[in-house]
Amino acid sequence: MSARRLAPPYGLLLDRSTQVDFTFEGQAVSGLAGDTIASALAAQDIWLLSRSFKYHRPRGVLSLSGDDANTFVQLPDEPNVLADTYKIQDGLAVSGQHYSGSLRSDAAQRISAFSRFLPVGFYYHAFHKPRGIWDFWEKRIRARAGLGAVNQNVRGKYYDKAYACTDVAVIGAGAAGVSAAVAAAKAGRDVTLIERQPILGGSLNHARLQVKSTYGVDLARELAEELTAAEHRIAILADALCTGLFADNLLSVMRDNRLIKLRAEQVILATGAIEQPAVFENNDLPGVMMASAAQRLLWLYAVRPGRDAVILTANADGYGAALDLAEAGVTIRGIVELRDEPTVEPLMQEAVSRRMPVLRGYAIRRAFANEGGHHLAGIELVSVAGQDRPQRDTLRISCDLICMSVGWAPAASLAAQAGAEIAYNDAQASFDIRGLPDRVQAVGALTHRWTPEAATAQGRHAGLRAAGQAGEPPPGAAADAQPVNHPFPYFPGDSGKAFVDFDEDLTPEDIENSVAEGFDHVELVKRYSTVGMGPSQGRQSAANTVRLLSRVTGRSLNGSRGWTNRPPAYPEKVGQLAGRGFEPVRQSPMHDRHLQANAEMMAAGAWLRPAFYGPDRDTAIEREVSVVRGNAGLIDVSTLGGIELRGPDAAAFLERVYTGRFETLKPGRSRYALMCDMTGTIQDDGMACRFAADHFYVTATTGNSDEVHRAMLWWNAQWGMDVDITNVTGAYAAVNIAGPQSRSILAPVCDGLDLSAEGFPYMAVRNGAIAGIPSRILRVGFVGELGYEIHAPAALGEALWDALLEAGRRYRMRPFGVETQRMLRLEKGHIIIGQDTDGLTHPHEAGMGWALGRGKPFFLGQKAIEIRMRRPLARKLVGFAMRPQTATLPEECNLVIRGDEIVGRVTSIFRSQTLGKPIGLAYVAPDQAALGTSLTIKDSSGGFVEATVTATPFFDPQNRRQSL
Amino acid sequence: MTAHKHMTDPARHPRRSFVYRRLCEAGAVFEVCGDAAVATDYPGHAGLAQRLALVDLSPLPRLGFKGPRALSWLRRQVGDVPDDNNRAYVLGDGALVARLTDTEALILCDIAVSGATVAALEEADLIAGAYPAPRRDSHAWFVLCGDFAVDCLQKLCGLDLRPQRFADLAVAQTSLARLSAILIRQDRGAVPSFHILADSASALYLWDVLIDSMDEFLGAPAGWKALRDLDPPSRKPSR
Repeated sequence: MSARRLAPPYGLLLDRSTQVDFTFEGQAVSGLAGDTIASALAAQDIWLLSRSFKYHRPRGVLSLSGDDANTFVQLPDEPNVLADTYKIQDGLAVSGQHYSGSLRSDAAQRISAFSRFLPVGFYYHAFHKPRGIWDFWEKRIRARAGLGAVNQNVRGKYYDKAYACTDVAVIGAGAAGVSAAVAAAKAGRDVTLIERQPILGGSLNHARLQVKSTYGVDLARELAEELTAAEHRIAILADALCTGLFADNLLSVMRDNRLIKLRAEQVILATGAIEQPAVFENNDLPGVMMASAAQRLLWLYAVRPGRDAVILTANADGYGAALDLAEAGVTIRGIVELRDEPTVEPLMQEAVSRRMPVLRGYAIRRAFANEGGHHLAGIELVSVAGQDRPQRDTLRISCDLICMSVGWAPAASLAAQAGAEIAYNDAQASFDIRGLPDRVQAVGALTHRWTPEAATAQGRHAGLRAAGQAGEPPPGAAADAQPVNHPFPYFPGDSGKAFVDFDEDLTPEDIENSVAEGFDHVELVKRYSTVGMGPSQGRQSAANTVRLLSRVTGRSLNGSRGWTNRPPAYPEKVGQLAGRGFEPVRQSPMHDRHLQANAEMMAAGAWLRPAFYGPDRDTAIEREVSVVRGNAGLIDVSTLGGIELRGPDAAAFLERVYTGRFETLKPGRSRYALMCDMTGTIQDDGMACRFAADHFYVTATTGNSDEVHRAMLWWNAQWGMDVDITNVTGAYAAVNIAGPQSRSILAPVCDGLDLSAEGFPYMAVRNGAIAGIPSRILRVGFVGELGYEIHAPAALGEALWDALLEAGRRYRMRPFGVETQRMLRLEKGHIIIGQDTDGLTHPHEAGMGWALGRGKPFFLGQKAIEIRMRRPLARKLVGFAMRPQTATLPEECNLVIRGDEIVGRVTSIFRSQTLGKPIGLAYVAPDQAALGTSLTIKDSSGGFVEATVTATPFFDPQNRRQSL
Repeated sequence: MTAHKHMTDPARHPRRSFVYRRLCEAGAVFEVCGDAAVATDYPGHAGLAQRLALVDLSPLPRLGFKGPRALSWLRRQVGDVPDDNNRAYVLGDGALVARLTDTEALILCDIAVSGATVAALEEADLIAGAYPAPRRDSHAWFVLCGDFAVDCLQKLCGLDLRPQRFADLAVAQTSLARLSAILIRQDRGAVPSFHILADSASALYLWDVLIDSMDEFLGAPAGWKALRDLDPPSRKPSR
């Protein structure tokens, strides 16, 4: 065991039976299970962890609570890991970050010598002139900017999200939080208790609250016992970080690789307080830390934080730290008492009685580094007759540890997110939380309750109040009158750097320069200087910045507000936010059959459809076209929308939502249905099949079926018609058997149905059975061949597919894909909504005026179409053909050009093997729509090709084949 | 419809579960039930239903009714329908009637498929204003059961599933992993149990998502038999 490791009872978080081996900067290091990277390194007397953002200064432990960015280290697959809180694991490879050369000898730290040329905002003034110089500087600045390195080859980890609901969420499991949780639970409420640390108790586990050293731990144990008694109602989320409090008490909680979205009826914030630094020269040296950090090292990790310590204090906590350190074998070289007339507290009396040297009337003016410049070696004290007037009377003390105990700031980020005002209170020399919403309470050190007794009483009251049972707050729950904060622990030296903001390497001069530049509001200072914009978000810099700003501007400090707190309160990983993505996919019942047939699948909205049956696209399409035109093909059209409309008003309803006539449609017949929106723009199309006077089955396009269903529901709600509308898309598998042999194939398996042209003519619909499977059969001809669309219960779809393929085997029927279908329908001149139309296309532009029911009193978009038709057409969709020899075809969306004017675009194009030439559809100027007109199309390579406006259908213009 | 206690290949039956291939991959043994085969057992998965199990009941009978007179018609057929939307009611033969809206109900057969309700409803004469909804084909039917069922669902669903908020026989029409789903709580004895009904075309997606979510709780697919072996659900009418 290392010389710095202490024996129990120190080391509450450690499992001493398990050694953990890892590396830091390539050097083998051993720690204990439960150690963080920082504590394990500290136990090995390794204090230099990383380098600072701007000046590359050596940095080490400051808070050991994850509240600062001084301990950012690099892992192989993750930058900016907080060594303060990241648990070591066997084999972990850790290195410092943000250095050139080595961590101990960082060549980039020379930049500090030029700091006088690099004041805040220097980049706003420099690098822009002369013109073009930015190109030179940008590469260099980018090379220096940022912290850590992203490993772009790292494999993604599994992150996910979970939802949770609770009656009362308590954030922070210190004395106040645990008391609140227990009280609410005893009052019958479900409680979720969220704690950053792996153990409950908060500062009770490491702070010296009384002369008796185990007072805090004993109290934590008592609270834990209370918690156990009520644990059936309390869910404890330890090692979890609450990063956001959003509307209606939605909390974001990060735990391991999971984001928990917790909805709470009541929230109790017991987030505690964050110890604040003093500002003196070299206050960032490793070895200078918060007193609470030193106590965490002692009590949580059994690490002696130094050999010779100086305590800088303005409250009783500093004396508590001195007692703790002394009892752990650290020599107290001095307690620098900043208060003019300190209250005599028991801890102070105890320290004095143990002959610890208390130095009154002094402040630390400067900290000195050791020879290597990596760690504290001593301090220079200066007598103060008042903090604005440093005197010449100095005192030097050798030490390797400074513990700063000059005050606390409330961990108020979540309170601010809840809507509270965070305003400075002179009497407490700290921020107050004012105006929390009704269902959010704040307790404990967050509200200046510094003793566990006050925090506990207040917590209990808040817990009861959250449960709706509280009366008046007990007297013991009042805030402590005695402030624990020094009004301004600011002791500037005359050389070197003192830091207000450690994240961004900002000094008091930087704040003053911001004001001098005219940025004198706290929000402007933040943005100009970047104070508070680093990873710690001002947790250790806001109070001193506000004090400094008040001093520089002469404005009153009392009531001053810090900058706006926004979520997240603590850094979140992108992985946690991205979490596990959910992208629902729809598959037809025949999906596996397609894969077995070597289909190349394509996305169509949420569906997966076979594009063609591979492997080679062109060869496959050629083969499939031949089969359909020559024999028969089978395509899976289960993705088509299916909507049932039932009720006495079904026909009347369709009359309104579709452009055509449906009241005149006879049962057993179907009709093309075109839907427009209220602007007259084409929305969708399909077939409306009438199975009974009050029953229609309407198909919709694959990508639009949900939207069509929603629109129908919406309009039915408006019109109040007696029609029930049900989306049954997923309930039906559907196939289209098309080709001259389709009737012959179907006949043997089509039980008892007359398939003849007379018995089952084109556009007729029937209920029947295919291979014993109950089916709806539609005689349609999208691809221009004799065809039957068969809709059957989805769970029977695979059996239907198998039966049809078996029946078609002797006719050499094959499945065909969407790509082939698109070519076949193009040969027939049928448009595809969304491909051959866009967000403005109205029926007349698309040449579909024939689909508008004449004399109808109303249909959606009717009026708009009339208005739009009062103006000349702006474009017209036409068919075109190209010379068979055309080598390179234009692509969809290639432009139709006339002179130097764009007049339209290609919407569909294929090289038709049936016709032996390229054909397509394109929007053109209306005066180009006449048959035989020559078009010029600019292809994707920038070349121009010629096409000729041609009549549609290109193939079988008399529609004989589909009417067989 | 009755179950036959002999093993079978699900592809030999015309009606197939939307996820039957996944079940085969997981080692399911199938049992004939009417015109379909149901995954009845998974060797080596014994006892999982108590902890966390996902059971595919998609081949079992179920149906729905919609329309302005659907509930009154249904009430006449089965005797009782919940008074409130998003509540379920267990009929005497174990069939479950879930009232989804003022104009829509869903009926699930009893787990043992021994009752007559669903078959009778399939054959019943409908009236104008009451229309059938093909829930056996539009929706896959899974049951997620076990002590960790709520924890597992909370990874996919934002609903407050605590028992006091989502009690036995509560119904929710919600989103599971961004997929619209009907969730019905029907505990089996002390074991939390949820019927999940969702788009049959997305059944495979949902199955995979659920299995993935179950992994951290050591859950796995279980067979129809495991569900039947649990304590029967309460038949106490819950209004």
